[in-house]
Amino acid sequence: MSDAAEPVDEMVDGRGHVRPRWRGLLGALSSLPEGGLAARARLLDRAFEEEGSAGLLPSPASPGQRAAGRLDPVPLLLDGTEFAELSQGLAQRARLLEAVLADLYGPQSLLAGGAIPPELVFPNPAFLRPCCNSVPGPFLHLYAADLIRGADGRWRVAADSVVSMEGLAQAYANRSHMARTLPECARAVQMRPLRPFVDAWRDVLQRAAGAEYAGAAAVALLTPGVAHPQWAEHVTLARDLSCALAEAGDLTARGGVLFLKTLRGLQPVRVLLSRVPGALLDPLELGGRTALGVSGLLDAVRAGSLSVHNHPGAGLAEAPALPAFLPVLCRDLLGEELALPSVETLWLGDPASLARYEAAPTGYVLRRAGEAGAGAVEAGGDPRGWAAVARGAASLAPTLVGEHLEPRPVALRLFLLHDGAGWRCLPGGVARVADAEGRSGEISKDVWVLSEEGAEIRGPGALQVPALAIRRAAGDLPSRVADNLFWLGRYVERLDDSARLMRAAMARLDRAPMLPRDLAEVAALSRCLLDAKLITEEELPTSGDDAALRRALLQSGRGGGRLHRLTGEVARLVEGTRDRLTGDMHAAFTLPLRDCRAALMEAATPAALGAALGGLVRYASGVAGVAAENMVRGGAHTFLDLGRRLERGASVAALLGHLLAEPPARVESALALSLELCDSVITYRTRYLHLLQPAPALDLVMADPANPRGLVFQLAAAEALLAGVEGGGDPTLSGWAGRLRREGEAMAAEVAEASDPALAATRLSPRLLSLENSVGTLSDAIGRRYFTLVAAPRLLGVDTAEVPVRGAA
Amino acid sequence: MIYRVRHVTAYAYELPVEMATHLLHLTPRPLPRQRVLNTSLSCDPAPARRSEGLDHFGNPTAWLYLDRPHARLTVTADSIMEVTAPAPLPTATPPWEAIRGLALARAEAAEFLFPSPTLPPVEAARAFLAPYFTPGRPVGEAAVELIADFRDHMAFRAGVTTVSTPVEEVLRRRAGVCQDFAHLLVTGLRMLGIPARYVSGYIRTRPPPGGVRRVGVDQSHAWVAAWMGPEAGWVEMDPTNSLFVAEEHVVLGWGRDFGDVSPLLGVILGGGRHSVCVGVDMDEAAVAAG
Repeated sequence: MSDAAEPVDEMVDGRGHVRPRWRGLLGALSSLPEGGLAARARLLDRAFEEEGSAGLLPSPASPGQRAAGRLDPVPLLLDGTEFAELSQGLAQRARLLEAVLADLYGPQSLLAGGAIPPELVFPNPAFLRPCCNSVPGPFLHLYAADLIRGADGRWRVAADSVVSMEGLAQAYANRSHMARTLPECARAVQMRPLRPFVDAWRDVLQRAAGAEYAGAAAVALLTPGVAHPQWAEHVTLARDLSCALAEAGDLTARGGVLFLKTLRGLQPVRVLLSRVPGALLDPLELGGRTALGVSGLLDAVRAGSLSVHNHPGAGLAEAPALPAFLPVLCRDLLGEELALPSVETLWLGDPASLARYEAAPTGYVLRRAGEAGAGAVEAGGDPRGWAAVARGAASLAPTLVGEHLEPRPVALRLFLLHDGAGWRCLPGGVARVADAEGRSGEISKDVWVLSEEGAEIRGPGALQVPALAIRRAAGDLPSRVADNLFWLGRYVERLDDSARLMRAAMARLDRAPMLPRDLAEVAALSRCLLDAKLITEEELPTSGDDAALRRALLQSGRGGGRLHRLTGEVARLVEGTRDRLTGDMHAAFTLPLRDCRAALMEAATPAALGAALGGLVRYASGVAGVAAENMVRGGAHTFLDLGRRLERGASVAALLGHLLAEPPARVESALALSLELCDSVITYRTRYLHLLQPAPALDLVMADPANPRGLVFQLAAAEALLAGVEGGGDPTLSGWAGRLRREGEAMAAEVAEASDPALAATRLSPRLLSLENSVGTLSDAIGRRYFTLVAAPRLLGVDTAEVPVRGAA
Repeated sequence: MIYRVRHVTAYAYELPVEMATHLLHLTPRPLPRQRVLNTSLSCDPAPARRSEGLDHFGNPTAWLYLDRPHARLTVTADSIMEVTAPAPLPTATPPWEAIRGLALARAEAAEFLFPSPTLPPVEAARAFLAPYFTPGRPVGEAAVELIADFRDHMAFRAGVTTVSTPVEEVLRRRAGVCQDFAHLLVTGLRMLGIPARYVSGYIRTRPPPGGVRRVGVDQSHAWVAAWMGPEAGWVEMDPTNSLFVAEEHVVLGWGRDFGDVSPLLGVILGGGRHSVCVGVDMDEAAVAAG
């Protein structure tokens, strides 16, 4: 048994000599300055953090844990000959799995002949009956395999992945970080580049989509969505492949064609890169929840207008017991010997295998024979339903632990692509370092395939593509992305407004002693805080008792508080629009927010809270600045900006409405607060020195078209943005915004012309609050016009209430 | 015997449905003992796209795609078929314990040995059948007694169950409709290692002269087929009426459970609340003239 033997060391041979392929790298590592490797490892950690692949929100799959792990600074090395053997072996395995799938979804002669027992197929949730004899292959376009090297020095396949195939984007990210952080090492060894693989993939997709469909949505990657642990991978892949990133709700099937819903209307999808389990793809034909699939998707595949990579039914190839049958299947189906063995797998329906397992049960992990991903199971029931997979010791690779290198067990994941002519293997991949208990851990390694002199293999030439027509439009923005950007704009602005309001209140509560004027201002600010739902009715200050208000403000940034929830919403929306943000923009939208969130959580004193609120205000300005300087106008920028303008417009109207709800005698204090909260104090002083009067003050915060914190500025900007939305400027909506703008101008003009400006100003209060409502209504109308908020799909005919059961079904 | 069946399904929606896709199992399946003389399917409003084919189990299937707003949907299936009685159950069938091994070697039978999406194993269902399946007893003999007794154990009662009532619940209540009884037997038989499938269809309205009026008329009906070895093959049994299928049943199709052969499934966008009205008319046609 393999577990009795010593594991192989990747770097050192049995006699203690360094293996030749490691010499170049070790030389480079030893020339790093003292403690250099550990320092580089810290740089790698930071680079990953800044790239934001770690994400702000904990992934729901593993609460409290960050999705991404660490990258070890020492790569795993494979020499060219060994890699060639592995890639040929895996190519054969991919051809074999393709042949097995073609039979199981076609004539099923392997079942009839007993070459594969029915337990692997019929109870398998990945066996999609509607695909039998109706949805043609090929089944596999991309394939990933996990390998471990046994004590005898041979690599063996531990798992086949044809559905989620995660890790490809990580392989590319790891490589670029290694090249940047350890350039000496990357130069010291000659390694095969990763780029040609993704170029070939893009060509495959372009060919599959067909030349006549060069639309932005011709190729789409289907992701389960932002909450999925592999979301970052899906975003990166979609960007690297220049394809649309779609969730099920973004797609619709009509007339045998799959479409992406965009601002411009429905755009046909010809190739769908699916990262959703096949059984969920079409709720009508395959069951499953309607929110995760698209009904009519299989019809589009049958009609020939859509191809799904990999085939919806491909998951059958992941049946845990299948490796037990591959040596015989390979001889029968391909007429070849299986080149690359699997980790020992026993199907316990076979008496000899059962006896072998029962002789040493601790050496194996039990799995359901026909259910991938079900995990280990307990012994019990009919042995025909089980597979036993040997627990093999993996080879050891040098890994940085603290300041030193230690040998740790590694598993290797390699990726293969069918380029139309045959299978090609990515010369690289991801190695995962197992922890002391042998569980595949959070630490990954880059995989370097050393290239021999002049052995560089060239792929087929790039596909000839006609010259691109010049386009100035932002392309086909999916409606969901526009929706997310709009709300991102609104929520970032709402954070800013809330922070300014709270900061103003805190500053006054901090004064000792508080003068009558301070008390009056706190009361006015409390009305605004209440309106913004930052405090509740019970927390309003009463006759000088403001303890509840102080507590509420401090609580707001902690877990469950309003401000805390708002930052969470912003983080979620940033993730949801990630495919529209560059790495730098994503970092600028994420990292300062993470710090603010932590500072708000920890703030125990008014001073600390004030500092944290200042951080939020700077964050909002940062987002606005990055968006203004780095986003191409139109498309994504339009909706981000539109959200921001409407939110600020509504918030200024609400603020003025609440502050002016005072007797005319107290108007001066209301004006001072208005200028402060609209960040317009300095401008006012420059224009009017210290004399505070209603007409000039309200002109500045309401009507002045040049004040970016004023009311009319927001409404005029919204008007222009709505008129210019690509593929459908809407005169009704922009006209609506225009009416609101004129109402703002009219109010300021009335105060300027009034004989008693103080009285006129305080009388505006109800009109301002009604203007705030109108902005909200306009926002809803924008949602209906552009984000197609249609009802969620529902299933008929299976639910209890759907069919009256009398005599029967 | 020649039958004429009209099956009308009418949906009415509170709000217009913007888009709908429907999967239909409403066309009778041609069988050696069931000749389909004529069949047609109509849909009002007319669908934007309609396709037809066979599903994995070989049942005739139709797909309808509607992409215009509609406040109601009526699907009418009209069929005429000639039905003859199946071959009688062979006098000798294998002991029930041997069936599983025989079935595993035949994919068409093996598929129906395993639990299906809505029918997981239920120990109580196995226990319900166990008294009939004593050691070494021929499977046919056990089934004959089980079916004969079934109506004494279970009361036909409409309205106490729905299409998604689990088998445990049916056993607790000792009551249900044909679909519940079919699901109960299918679950129990599979746990004993006997392949079992769910059959969807209709039963004649008027009893034969002197016979009793059957239960489950004027609606869809459901029963069970069990595989009893290579010689007997699939044997159809109607637990609801305590009888083996002869000339009174018309088959639409079969699958692992109701979900595989639901007469009309759909995914709709919009629609609000809805109501549905299902009507089945089944008449003996005039004896075919020569």
